[in-house]
Amino acid sequence: MEERLYDLIFICMPTTPEEEIAKLIATVEQAAAEHGGKIEKVEKWGTRKMAYRVAKQREGFYVYVSLHSNQGELIKELERRLKVSDSVIKYMTVRLDEEIKRQQKLVGRRERRARRRPRKPVAAATPPSGEAAAAASAPESH
Amino acid sequence: MHDQPAPSSPQAPQGPRPSGGPPREGRPGGGPGGPRRGKRQYFRKKKVCRFCVERIDFIDYKKVEMLQPFVQDRGKIMPRRMTGTCSRHQRWLGVAIKRARNIALLPFATEL
Repeated sequence: MEERLYDLIFICMPTTPEEEIAKLIATVEQAAAEHGGKIEKVEKWGTRKMAYRVAKQREGFYVYVSLHSNQGELIKELERRLKVSDSVIKYMTVRLDEEIKRQQKLVGRRERRARRRPRKPVAAATPPSGEAAAAASAPESH
Repeated sequence: MHDQPAPSSPQAPQGPRPSGGPPREGRPGGGPGGPRRGKRQYFRKKKVCRFCVERIDFIDYKKVEMLQPFVQDRGKIMPRRMTGTCSRHQRWLGVAIKRARNIALLPFATEL
């Protein structure tokens, strides 16, 4: 299985002490190491106001982890651990590799096209024909 | 009331219709028709898709400031005809907003 890229965000209670959070992150890293995953980066966004109440709290401590893995069970394992933990009130995993691939394809396509024909400066009104299908929205607005 | 042309079938592909016509319930919302309810004028400016102009390929659900302009104050996602987004980016935008809602970065609904 090829490398998959995941985004994992979890929210802890705002009253969680620092070492608790560090322990959680260590758990995540350890689980990743066990199941053939690789942590790309960990970001602590700190305490932040949430858009709605979760577990009767208005604020939460956000942690963001980006990781690679070639085993799907890693995610199941991580989510299980987060679910079991008492201080984590919300978590979400997003799989991103397909989107990144598609984005790179679009970027590649655009550069190839730009090389093939010299592009006029970016004019919002009339992009060169054969530009991405997004330009087809222009006829809608007359 | 405005002038009354013979009302065409609501499902007819709507080009720009200068005469409009009485708004019909349940009509598919595509196209510029319909905003006669006094909310917005008839297509008052031609907007281009912001994402196409800036050539953004990946709408990040984590960047709330990028998503905020496309969300109404009640928390609803703005329709495409109001923001001028192209269909492709509107789809991606919807996905990003829903992800952000799930992680409490954006509200599902707010009380006015």
